[in-house]
Amino acid sequence: MHDQAKPSAQAPSASRYFTWLFFLGALVFALGAGLVGDVFFLRLATEALIFGGLALSVDLLLGRVGLLPLGQALFFGLGAYVSALVLKEWHNSFWLSVTVSLVASALAGLVGGIVAIRAKGVYFALISFGLAQVVSKVVFNTRDLGASDGIIGVPGAAIFPGLTSADPIGFFLVTLATIFGLYCGLTYLMETPFGRQLSAIRTNEHRIPFLGFDPWRYKLLAFVVAACIAGLSGALYPMLRGFVSPELMFFQVSGNAVINVIVGGTGTLIGSLYGSTLLTGLKSVVGSFTAHHQIVIGLLFVVVVIVFPRGLIGYLSPLLQRRLSFRHATGRGGQ
Amino acid sequence: MSSALDWLQFVLAPQMVNGLSIGVAVVLMALGLTIIFGLLDVINMAHGEFYAIGAYGAVALIGLGMSFWWALALTPLLMAVLGYVTERGLIQRVFHSKDRHTLTLLLTFGVGIVLEDVLKIVFGANPLRVEAPITGATELVGLFFPNYRLFVMAVGGLLIVAVWVLVFRTSLGAIVRAAAFDRYMSASLGVPISRVYAATFAFGVALAGISGVLLAPIYSVFPTMGRDFVLIAFSVVIIGGMGSIKGAVLAGLLLTQVQSISSLFISPVWNDPLLFGIMVLVLMWRPQGLYGKLGNA
Repeated sequence: MHDQAKPSAQAPSASRYFTWLFFLGALVFALGAGLVGDVFFLRLATEALIFGGLALSVDLLLGRVGLLPLGQALFFGLGAYVSALVLKEWHNSFWLSVTVSLVASALAGLVGGIVAIRAKGVYFALISFGLAQVVSKVVFNTRDLGASDGIIGVPGAAIFPGLTSADPIGFFLVTLATIFGLYCGLTYLMETPFGRQLSAIRTNEHRIPFLGFDPWRYKLLAFVVAACIAGLSGALYPMLRGFVSPELMFFQVSGNAVINVIVGGTGTLIGSLYGSTLLTGLKSVVGSFTAHHQIVIGLLFVVVVIVFPRGLIGYLSPLLQRRLSFRHATGRGGQ
Repeated sequence: MSSALDWLQFVLAPQMVNGLSIGVAVVLMALGLTIIFGLLDVINMAHGEFYAIGAYGAVALIGLGMSFWWALALTPLLMAVLGYVTERGLIQRVFHSKDRHTLTLLLTFGVGIVLEDVLKIVFGANPLRVEAPITGATELVGLFFPNYRLFVMAVGGLLIVAVWVLVFRTSLGAIVRAAAFDRYMSASLGVPISRVYAATFAFGVALAGISGVLLAPIYSVFPTMGRDFVLIAFSVVIIGGMGSIKGAVLAGLLLTQVQSISSLFISPVWNDPLLFGIMVLVLMWRPQGLYGKLGNA
């Protein structure tokens, strides 16, 4: 019975429980916050979701393809900048800025992917790190993009007639729907032949050519998809905060996304959303006591890497799965 | 004609010498990274923080009343102890898992975050200065060079040679190279592998610490000082070949020369993109870097 962790054909899957728990929990939270009239926590939760989207893209590469991206903030920041520029200089439409950001991050993902995918293993990690570092430096020094100040005074985006991103609860729900859509799309994608190719690459890349497939093409496509997810999440950021700054592309953001994924559970996809929520909340709580919240996050991360390398969901999911299968089995036995 | 010569003598030459003094420090840093990778297969993401700790170590020791020379001698020893403890206490724990590459990279990344914040708590976020122990300048072929930079070049050059001798000409180095080539075989021949690993990590960390001390009087000392510097060191190691000592020395000197000469013509802002462009081109031509790994070289 060594494959107990795998969902059996009949028993409900544990990861679906965690998915519903997360999104229903978020809805309940929105309802509660709306009743109390809270703004601060709604904004914080929206930010957690946005960074959760970035973490989702990291998990696609790290957990499903086996590539560790240390510069995913590049696409997140790109999406944020493009969206801010569209909103400020062109038209304050949510749909327009999201579409333009998506196209831009897909193109950037294609270029970045062609450069980075050539490299394997640790070389990939370091190249993606360098790529983001270089682009963030260039943005930091470009006066037309506001240099170190970034772009401030981005107007709220008009989503539907009568709803702009300035409305805390409305924008939280829109963000939640976006992230939910991304998550569902991604889990669906993992069930397609494309997703199976990716898990085959993760397991043993050298055997793929023997089966008649070109791993490079699938990895590149995965990289572009990840760039799109990160870019789309980034596009929501200026709508929430009203500004973008080069810090969004810095290593801190890429690193935090990786931390979110590891703490939440690598390869579980939903774990990255849990990780982001957990750590954004933790940062806010610790940040109200001391300015040195990085040390707490860093220590937590080190402990997780050493003691629970599978992360929160990666640890809980098999436990729940075992219970579910057990109940399923005994339930059938009783009939 | 004479103006071209003047340009060579008064613009290009000093720039190259300055580049060389930074270059030896970059090479020391890259040597630490590449030796650790060559033997342990660990990408030390905290290397930049260890470099910063080296510089702060000098600040602290000088603050205690020691001279710069004592700080230069003592800091690497303290750094080696820190490195040994880090390897034994943390890296050993995830070293034997299946995802060693990723886990050790993530672990050292986390260690780096913690160390940076510790530096901020202990020393504050403001830049500190270390006075250069040697002042004045020396005239060489009609040019004045700051004495301290010449000193950095001399010490750095000696250290690089010493590392080379240690790795390739001593029995200690032979043990390390044997362990890098085939750890199981050398273990069965009686090499205390886990102690060799810890000592090698300590050695790499000490090298980062030395370059921190050496550069402290040239740059100012601040908690995030390692970040930009480690990017250059990583590019050097990638171009030279991960784990190659020859590659790290060559690529380190070459890249810093490219950097200092190019800054005569283009804005220093474009330095990093230039470096990165070179790195990508080299990787397209030779995905494994210029030279091979430690055990095979």
